[in-house]
Amino acid sequence: MSGETSFFDAWIKGFVDFWPELLEASIDTLYMVFTSTLLSLFFGFFLAVLLIITHPGGLRPQPGIYRVLDALVNLGRSFPFIILLIAIQPFTRLSVGKTIDSEAAIVPLTVAAIPFAARVLEGSFLEVERGVVEAARSFGAGTGQIIFRVMLPEALPALILNAAVIAVTLLGYAAMAGVVGGGGLGDLAIRYGYNRFKPEVMLYSIVILVIMVQCIQSLGNLLYKKLR
Amino acid sequence: MIEVSALCKAFGRQTVLRDISMSVRRGEIFGIVGHSGAGKSTLLRCLNGLETYDSGSVKIMGQEVGELAGSGVLQLRRAMGMIFQDFSLMSRKNVFENVAFPLKVWNTPWQRMAGRALALLGKSGSGAERTRPCLSAAQIHERVMSLLDMVGLAHKSGERIQSLSGGQKQRVGIARALALNPGILLCDEATSALDPQTTMSILDLLEDINRKLNLTIVLVTHQMEVVKRLCHRLLLLDAGVSQAVGRTEDLFLTPPDNLKKFIDEEFTVLPAGINIRLTFPREIAQQSIITGMARDLDIDFSIVGGKLERYLDDVFGFLIINVQREQVEAVLAYLRGRQIPGQILDEQAPGHMRDTGV
Repeated sequence: MSGETSFFDAWIKGFVDFWPELLEASIDTLYMVFTSTLLSLFFGFFLAVLLIITHPGGLRPQPGIYRVLDALVNLGRSFPFIILLIAIQPFTRLSVGKTIDSEAAIVPLTVAAIPFAARVLEGSFLEVERGVVEAARSFGAGTGQIIFRVMLPEALPALILNAAVIAVTLLGYAAMAGVVGGGGLGDLAIRYGYNRFKPEVMLYSIVILVIMVQCIQSLGNLLYKKLR
Repeated sequence: MIEVSALCKAFGRQTVLRDISMSVRRGEIFGIVGHSGAGKSTLLRCLNGLETYDSGSVKIMGQEVGELAGSGVLQLRRAMGMIFQDFSLMSRKNVFENVAFPLKVWNTPWQRMAGRALALLGKSGSGAERTRPCLSAAQIHERVMSLLDMVGLAHKSGERIQSLSGGQKQRVGIARALALNPGILLCDEATSALDPQTTMSILDLLEDINRKLNLTIVLVTHQMEVVKRLCHRLLLLDAGVSQAVGRTEDLFLTPPDNLKKFIDEEFTVLPAGINIRLTFPREIAQQSIITGMARDLDIDFSIVGGKLERYLDDVFGFLIINVQREQVEAVLAYLRGRQIPGQILDEQAPGHMRDTGV
C-alpha cells in the first residue's frame, strides 16, 4: 500500500517539478510540427498537382516530366531524416539564417516532409473518380478549373486525413530535432530520460506525445466524417 | 450537324476504330451499338474531343474537331452535353450545385470582368457572349431550378447525391448536361446501370427532351431495347469496324448478318433443327399468315418463340418457327410470296440451350 502511494507520489512530484520544462518542450514540439506540416502541405500540394497533371493518364500527360518528378520524390523520401537534418544545414542557414533552435529544425522537417506530402496528396487526387473529371472536361472546364474546382473539393476529405498522417509522421521526426537544439518532447526524453537516468521524464514525454498523436488523428477523422 | 468520315484511331498498336463514317442530322436520335470493347465509347469521345483521332475527319457543325486549339475545344464542349453510365456527379456537392457547376465554369469572376470591360469599351463581344451573357446568382438559380423541374427533381435540389436512386442520379446528370443549352447531347451507356423500369423512364425523358428542345442525341449502348425504343438511325460497331448504318426499323426488319447475330442473342431456348424467324410489319400482323401457310403447304411446324416489340412509335411482331429441314425451301418461298421477311437462325447444336426470354 505504502509502496504504491510513494510511487504515485514520486510520479506526481516529478511531474510538478518538471512541468515548466515539459510545457516548454510541448510548445516547441507543437510549433515545429504545426509549422512544418503547413509548409510541407503547401509545397507538397504544388508538387502533387504537377504530378497529377503530367501523369501518363493525367490532364496533360507528360510522361518524361512525370518520370523525373516521380524519381525526385522517391529520392527525397529515401533519405533518413537524421542525415538530411545535418546534410542540408547550409540550406537551412541560407533560408532562416541559423542552424540551431526550433525554427532551424522546421527547415529540415519541411524538406523531409514535402516529398512525402506530395506522394500522399497525389494519392488522394488519384482517388477522385475519373468519371467526375471526365464529366467536368465534357462541359468545357479547363485544367485549372478541374484541379481547383473539381478535384480539390472532391478530394478534400482524403486530403485532410492525409494531412493528419503527415502531422503524426512529423511528430516522430521532430524528436530528432534535438540534434540541432530544436528542443521539443523527444529531445527532453533523450536528454533527461536517457542521458541523465530520469526514466519518469521520458515517460511524461511519451505520455504527452501519445496524447498529441491521438488528438491529431481524432481531429483528422472528425473532419473527414464531417466533410464526406 | 455531325459528320464523321474515314475515322481511324489506335491505342498504341491496337486499332480501336477503323474507317468509321457516319452523319447525324439535327434533331435526330442516333445510336452507336455494339458489344463492350467495340470502340463505341471511344467513337463518342472523339466527337467532343475527349479523345484524339489518328486520321479521318470529325466535323461538328462544320468545325473540324481535331483542328481546334485549346479554347476552341472548350467552346465545342460547351455546345455539347454529355451523360455517363456511372453518372459522374460530384459526390460532395448537392443536386443543385451539381447542375449549377457547368454554369459556374463558364461564369467565373474573370469572365464577368472581361464581359463588363468589353461592354464599357462599347464592343459587342463575340456571338457566343452575346447570346450567353454572364449570369447573376439569381439567374443561375432560376436556370438550375427550371432544369431540375424539367427532369422532375425540383423538390430534391438540396439533397446530397448519395441519397438519390440511380434513376434520379441520371436525371441530375441530364439536367447538368443541358445546363449550358447544348445543341447535341452525348449519352455514354446512360441506362446500363439502371433497372429496366428506370431505363424506360430515362428513355422517355430523353425522347421528351429531343422533341421539346429539338436536341440532337447521339447515344452509345449495348442494350437492344434502348436502340429500338429511341434511335431513329443507328451504327453497328464490332471490333472497331462499322458493320451497318441505317434506319433502325430497316435494320431490324431485314437485319444484315452482323446485326442478326446481335439480335439473336436475345432469344431463347431454341430447339435443334431449322428455326426461322418471321417479322411482321403491323399491316400484315392482322392477316392469318401462319395458319394459312400450314393449310396451303400442308406441313406441320412448331412455334417456338414470339414477341411484339415496339420500335420508336411502331409495333412489330416476331415469330420463330421450327420446321423440318426438307420443308425449309417451301416455307421461305411461301413467305417471299407474301412479302414477309423470314430468316433462318443459326442452327442450334442439340442440347444447346440459351437463356429463355420468350
